[in-house]
Amino acid sequence: MILKIAWKNVWRSRGRSAVVMGSIVVGIWALIFGTGFMNGFMESYMADVINHDVSNFQIHNPQFKKDYDVKLFIPDGEQKAEEIRTWPGVKVTTSRAILNGMISSSRKGSGIQIRGIDPKEEAEVTRLDSLIIEGTYFEGMSRNPIVIGEKLAEELKIKLKSKVVLTFNDAKGNLTAAAYRVVGIVKSSSVKINSQYAYVRKQDLFKNLANGANVHEIAVVTNEQTDEEILVAKYNEKYKEDKAESWREIAPELAILQEMYSQSLYILLVIIMLALAFGIVNTMLMAVLERTRELGMLMAIGMNKVRVFFMVVVETIYLSAVGTPFGLFISWLTIKYYRNVGVDLSNYSEGLESFGYSSILYPFVTGDAYVIVSIGVVITAIVGALYPAWKAIKLNPVEALHKV
Amino acid sequence: MSIIKVENITKIYNETKVPVHALNGISFEIQEGEFTAIVGPSGCGKTTLLNILGGLDHPTEGRVEIAKTDITGMKDKDLIDFRLNNIGFVFQAYNLIPVLTTLENVEFIMLLQKVDKKKRIERAMNLLREMGIADKANQRPSELSGGQQQRVAVARALASKPNFILADEPTANLDSVSTTNLLDMMAKMNKEENETFVFSTHDQRVIDKARRVITLVDGTILSDETK
Repeated sequence: MILKIAWKNVWRSRGRSAVVMGSIVVGIWALIFGTGFMNGFMESYMADVINHDVSNFQIHNPQFKKDYDVKLFIPDGEQKAEEIRTWPGVKVTTSRAILNGMISSSRKGSGIQIRGIDPKEEAEVTRLDSLIIEGTYFEGMSRNPIVIGEKLAEELKIKLKSKVVLTFNDAKGNLTAAAYRVVGIVKSSSVKINSQYAYVRKQDLFKNLANGANVHEIAVVTNEQTDEEILVAKYNEKYKEDKAESWREIAPELAILQEMYSQSLYILLVIIMLALAFGIVNTMLMAVLERTRELGMLMAIGMNKVRVFFMVVVETIYLSAVGTPFGLFISWLTIKYYRNVGVDLSNYSEGLESFGYSSILYPFVTGDAYVIVSIGVVITAIVGALYPAWKAIKLNPVEALHKV
Repeated sequence: MSIIKVENITKIYNETKVPVHALNGISFEIQEGEFTAIVGPSGCGKTTLLNILGGLDHPTEGRVEIAKTDITGMKDKDLIDFRLNNIGFVFQAYNLIPVLTTLENVEFIMLLQKVDKKKRIERAMNLLREMGIADKANQRPSELSGGQQQRVAVARALASKPNFILADEPTANLDSVSTTNLLDMMAKMNKEENETFVFSTHDQRVIDKARRVITLVDGTILSDETK
């Protein structure tokens, strides 16, 4: 019957209970949608970086990344790329010849990274072809085609079919130059792709390198359920002369970002739950003070303090138990809707893209988020009820009974 | 059999600042089945005495024994259990639980005593019948008149099978018809069930009905008359 009294007490002041339940609903929604939104941000950013740039893991000569020396290639790189492609859990691979150099138009020059690629494999690994916004993806031009980013094209003041000259050191240390013609322009949220990379065909680049058909980088994309760290360890065990690194090592800022993001979610959880706790304390305190005489009577006739305490706490749990399902349902609906249509942030697209984010985000949350938030609300309700319940049991029955 | 035994109790409020002597060395005994009114002008110490008899307050000095148990030095926690099983309370403002029905209000105290549900309902219905309000069993207190609410309060007080009922100005908020009805009910319970009632009151109708009247003045017993 104490549970029944507690339940009925919840509905004594419907307006006040509705306000608390409303704040629980809004709090849960804000928390889950905020989490979904941040997840969307992270997913989009990481997917962009992994799918269009670093891949799941890469292989280099251990010394290569120190100064991108053209002589520090992967021995039998193309064969190794072919072999890895057959490993379980590996989806696609590609090998690249990479060197740092200069790109010059008739009006301007810029330092870039020249990436000699196999267009077909590259399209499978980084979906580079999907980023074309002007021209074609290495098609319609048989001699020395080049694909560059939109920002780089703007910087060099060039357009499709413009001629550019790439200057770099070959394997013998000679300064070499080769003319290319712009066949396609790509646009990506990745700053590197947009303004720092120039893509040419591997076989065109090999002609100028005096280095044979050697590659400097193998990029590997794994299946979604595969842990790339296992494959990295496998490669490093087998080919000790090379160095395989997962995206976490290649782009440590991503791992840091992921960690910071997880922590920020907990901070968000604590902030919202604190606000909720204060709301609950306030409401339950009012409920206790309003019922001073009744509580005094209950204690006078023989209701012990444990039961009084329990009754106030249960009332609060009921309040949250009614609000929580609504909050979860509204959150689920919102996430489901925006997961399909996306949140259009195109008004801020320029700023977002400069940081590597996409302008349309697709929020999502895992089932864990709903469970964590539900548990968080119940704990908050209990914590929020402690002070009012303590005030209730501290009432002196004689004084409480004479309270007007 | 002595249900209440009060020996030389005093109650002083604000002992350390400006002491107020609410009770000054009061002693009396109340036997089982008595119908006693404690009367006196405002501020004479009636409520203080009732609070002490009800185990809601402690005397500064003296000794209170209820049903052969000395409650004077009992801890608050133990007093709550003692009150639950030994004392029935009727308050001036009825103090029913507004969210429960009449039946549930009467049943509630037995729930605290951990009485079986079937027995609870049976006893609660019997008491409501005796109080003449069985037809109101499923109504909320807000749907009852003041007199009916006070009868529910009496039924609740009796439900725990206490040693005595302590009623603080039970008729103060009632009209004359309700007062008469309530007093008749309580007198009947006293006569037929040998229930012990102790009232504090100003109401002459209660005083007239009481078989013993203890008059307090300035915290002392001015007279103790049995009719």
